[in-house]
Amino acid sequence: MTIVDASAPEAATVSTDGLLGGYRLMSGSFDEMCGEGGQPRPHWEYVARALDLLGAAELRDRDRDLRGILRENGVTYNVYANAQRSERLWALDPIPVLLTSSEWNTIEQGLIQRAELLDLVLRDLYGPRKLLGRGTLPAAVVYAHPGFLRPCDGLLPSTGQWLHLYAADLARHADGSVCVIGDRAQAPSGMGYALENRTVLSNIFPSLYRDSRVHRLALFFRSLRGALNRLDPAGRENSRVVVLTPGPESETYFEHAYLANHMGYPLVQGSDLGARDGHVWLNTVDGLRPVDVILRRVDDVYCDPLELRPDSLLGVPGVLAGARLGNVALANPLGTSLLDNAGLMAYLPALARELLGEELRLPSVQTWWCGDPQQREHVLQNLSALVIKPIVPHPIPASVFGAVTSAEQRARVTEEIRARPHLYVGQEHVPLSTVPVFVDGRLEARRMVLRAFLAGAEGGYVCMPGGLARVAGHADSWIVSNQYGGLSKDVWIIASEPERQVALPEPRMEPLAVTRDGDDVPGRIADNLFWLGRYSERAEASARLLREVLLRLIGSDRAPGDAAFRILLGTVTRQTCTYPGFVGVEAEATLAAPEGELLAVLADRNRVGSLRYNVEAIVRAARSVRDRLSGDASRVINLLEREFSQACDVEAAMRALQRVITLLTAFAGFCGESMTRGQGWRFLEIGRHLERAVSTIGILDCLFAPAEPNAPALWEALLAIVHSAKTYRRRYRSRLQPVPVLDLILADESNPRSVAYQLAQIEARVADLDTARGARRGAAARLALDALTRVRLFDVESVVPMAEGDAALRLLLAGLRERLSALSNELGHQYFTHVEPPQQLVPLR
Amino acid sequence: MRFSIVHTTRYRYALPASLCHNEAHLRPRDGCGQVCEYSRLVVEPTPAVLHERVDHFGNAVTYFAVQEPHRALTVTVTSRVAVDRAETLPNTAASLPWELLVERVREDHGPADGGDDAREFALESPMAPTTAELAAFAAPSFAPGRPVLEGVHELTRRIYSEFAYDPNFTTVATPVTEVLAQRRGVCQDFAHLAIACLRSLGLPARYVSGYIETNTAPGVGGLRGADASHAWFSVYEPTLGWIDFDPTNNQVVGRRHVTVAWGRDYGDVTPLKGVMFAGGAHRLEVAVQMTREEG
Repeated sequence: MTIVDASAPEAATVSTDGLLGGYRLMSGSFDEMCGEGGQPRPHWEYVARALDLLGAAELRDRDRDLRGILRENGVTYNVYANAQRSERLWALDPIPVLLTSSEWNTIEQGLIQRAELLDLVLRDLYGPRKLLGRGTLPAAVVYAHPGFLRPCDGLLPSTGQWLHLYAADLARHADGSVCVIGDRAQAPSGMGYALENRTVLSNIFPSLYRDSRVHRLALFFRSLRGALNRLDPAGRENSRVVVLTPGPESETYFEHAYLANHMGYPLVQGSDLGARDGHVWLNTVDGLRPVDVILRRVDDVYCDPLELRPDSLLGVPGVLAGARLGNVALANPLGTSLLDNAGLMAYLPALARELLGEELRLPSVQTWWCGDPQQREHVLQNLSALVIKPIVPHPIPASVFGAVTSAEQRARVTEEIRARPHLYVGQEHVPLSTVPVFVDGRLEARRMVLRAFLAGAEGGYVCMPGGLARVAGHADSWIVSNQYGGLSKDVWIIASEPERQVALPEPRMEPLAVTRDGDDVPGRIADNLFWLGRYSERAEASARLLREVLLRLIGSDRAPGDAAFRILLGTVTRQTCTYPGFVGVEAEATLAAPEGELLAVLADRNRVGSLRYNVEAIVRAARSVRDRLSGDASRVINLLEREFSQACDVEAAMRALQRVITLLTAFAGFCGESMTRGQGWRFLEIGRHLERAVSTIGILDCLFAPAEPNAPALWEALLAIVHSAKTYRRRYRSRLQPVPVLDLILADESNPRSVAYQLAQIEARVADLDTARGARRGAAARLALDALTRVRLFDVESVVPMAEGDAALRLLLAGLRERLSALSNELGHQYFTHVEPPQQLVPLR
Repeated sequence: MRFSIVHTTRYRYALPASLCHNEAHLRPRDGCGQVCEYSRLVVEPTPAVLHERVDHFGNAVTYFAVQEPHRALTVTVTSRVAVDRAETLPNTAASLPWELLVERVREDHGPADGGDDAREFALESPMAPTTAELAAFAAPSFAPGRPVLEGVHELTRRIYSEFAYDPNFTTVATPVTEVLAQRRGVCQDFAHLAIACLRSLGLPARYVSGYIETNTAPGVGGLRGADASHAWFSVYEPTLGWIDFDPTNNQVVGRRHVTVAWGRDYGDVTPLKGVMFAGGAHRLEVAVQMTREEG
């Protein structure tokens, strides 16, 4: 392989001054933007001129905005380098790739033909296998491919479309002709990122986007929704479609949540589903709900541990039997990974002639399958000129031999091919087209692969007008992969005529029945929402406590060794459970110089119980329920994570705390204002109130000590921490007395910060949970009512004659704590039913 | 010859299981020198779902799900099978030279009758991989031009005499390369070993699961593999069809063998497997009773 140096003398340069002036073409590659003379192609002229006018400085600003939007929207991609997962911000270049609608039309026709062809191939190979009998396709292309799943043989019905979703990776030869370099059929990824890219780009270039007459993506997603609905085996109007994800650790989890959200389907994991009675059910807090269609993002072999990979925890045991019985449909059906098969490419022209009676319109990269002796010889003779690949797509390019250069490599590859010839292909080397990428304030040519997406439609396929372009991470790199630092681009199909009216007729125009349903909450989601509520409240309580302590630390009126301040520091340790901290016999030194410990409780992510630790727990819980939160609420969460990097001294910590408190309040507000009052919201609210009750009880226990000589100072701190100082002052001016303090914080149900208020809310929400399920008052509701009644019956005046009054208060607080903890467990037991992972029975030998 | 077979499999769990999905390859096949006159599969407790189908290889498969809490799962299959096979091998010397078979299979277009496609069985499978060591182990039996069935017969004999039958050495997951290195295993291992050796040469071979009649006469040692399911292998020869060999007993597969299912390897025809929820630890008990019926 030869790598063309962008600065090589033969490289042509665009003559324009400004941004375009520095754009250097790569020789040997077709450039998307510029023709051979270095001038922008006609369909690029408008965008090229606009970019040039914007200039590097402005484009840099837009690029910053773009990254800001991606960050706020939490658009991420999980990277598995060095066996350690890290979540990386989605990389999007601000410059779109442009194609004319007339060229796209040709590509589209080719892709539709290809999808139809692959669908026919799939149906034959999992059915009569006439292609193998007639010898059109060598048997080993099928039988040696691990994607040929024998349990799926004969699974699919004999009519209708089986390949519902299909993606193809497209590349250009040096002469600009387009070919397919990869087929992705089992669970193609990227269409959600394509949609997000479009959203972001239309946001940062509103007028450029508007004036460029770009084909919209919305229709494609409407077709997809229609295709999924049509899959419902029972043909119902309102079928239940779910999106099955491997979970937040999955590479493209963001996209799963984004698509689920965009299409209005619940996002579920295997453990949320169960097979019973030959059907698949979604386990919700309201009981089991039948699932009709599964849009899966889990690979074939992981979908059913009974019949496929027994060690999979991502699937649903029995789902294949449900599909076989015709009770549930999967998109794509299990077994489609057989089409992700480079060996097939060598035979597609013949297959097109045989199955369609047509020539293949869109060629594949020229491919020689080594299972055929003649083709194998060609490959072995031309090892250095060809790209050698396994027929099974592999995410790690190291397994792709690539072009073979050294003699030693040649020997190794030859040996491997001879040992398992049917598992390898040789492919011609496609130079890939280049496209301008904005890096370091200038445009640089990088190689690109474009992924196109198709969805089944009545009588054929619909192609997304656009796609996901991926470009190499470096100017001289051939590896176009998000796992290896590549960038993505939006793809604009530019209408040469006014926007094509491809509008599908609105599928069904019958009036919709009004419903307030549509809120299936799986137990796992309820669990995460509950803990999201708890963690966000816990974080807020810690933040308010820390702020109060830091204020006093900065304030000059504090006498050294101030007893009240020491109690306050102890409260920090007790409330955040960051022992030993300021508590215990060893604490003297820490108490004398508390800054370090306070900053650690604020910002040390490795300290269990620290504010940052809680914020990370919020982020995790929020990620698991991503599709349930409003965009605004998610954005706030994404901003929260960034507040800690600066908190290295007390002043900076104060500023960080202020912002964290504001963000947490904003998060609570967004949830309160935009979540429907369904079961999901109830769990979030119960979690929030339960945590606030627990933390207020804890604060009372620590700081409400009327016998203490400096009690008033503590009461003042107490009122400030629970955010009730203003109310107190309005009612009682500046006279601090124990009974009014206790009444306001413990018993006053009109104070949204009081314990009684939290308990009343919990009682009401828990009762609603039961009502919504049509159940009578359960154990959780009884515990909530018990706790509330205890507070209501407690006589706050009785604490004034100190000794026994204080004992009664401690008893009450202990009783409340116990009930709240039981309530939390009861909810977990009743609703979050953590199904134990399934286990394999010892197979019979 | 007619056999009545009662095959009972029982799982006992430490804790109640709430749900169990299972798949069984336990009904004997028809054809291949036998007729399954009767077969009944009973699951205790009664499954809520039970679905029969025919798999990729033509075997009968039963899927069932028990949905009530249960602490034991019992599957009993009662079958009556009439067997009529030759007790001797066909004329092995008349079979194709093995290299020719390798070539034939490669160029073959598969069966016209919808039967097994020999091409599929010449390729490696998860439990019967192809390696250079396996090919080397097979090589002494496959001199150039040797009729394939002679070679297979000798390979069978070598496995029987060079390998120790040792039920405590291997598990379901023991790779065949380990069996080759240690020279011990049970019937499944020997079948996989033979299959992997043949495929390493490019020859088509399949895995057969079934039963073998015990020698009941007092003082005579029983045949191995008789307490539970037995396994052997089968090799394809274009004019003779599939010919079975039993490397565990160095026997021709004749009238004392009953075929239940075949596939590429054990993974395709596991007699009984399942996935359960809750249930904790569990124990497995198996009993096979095979009796000759008179007349």
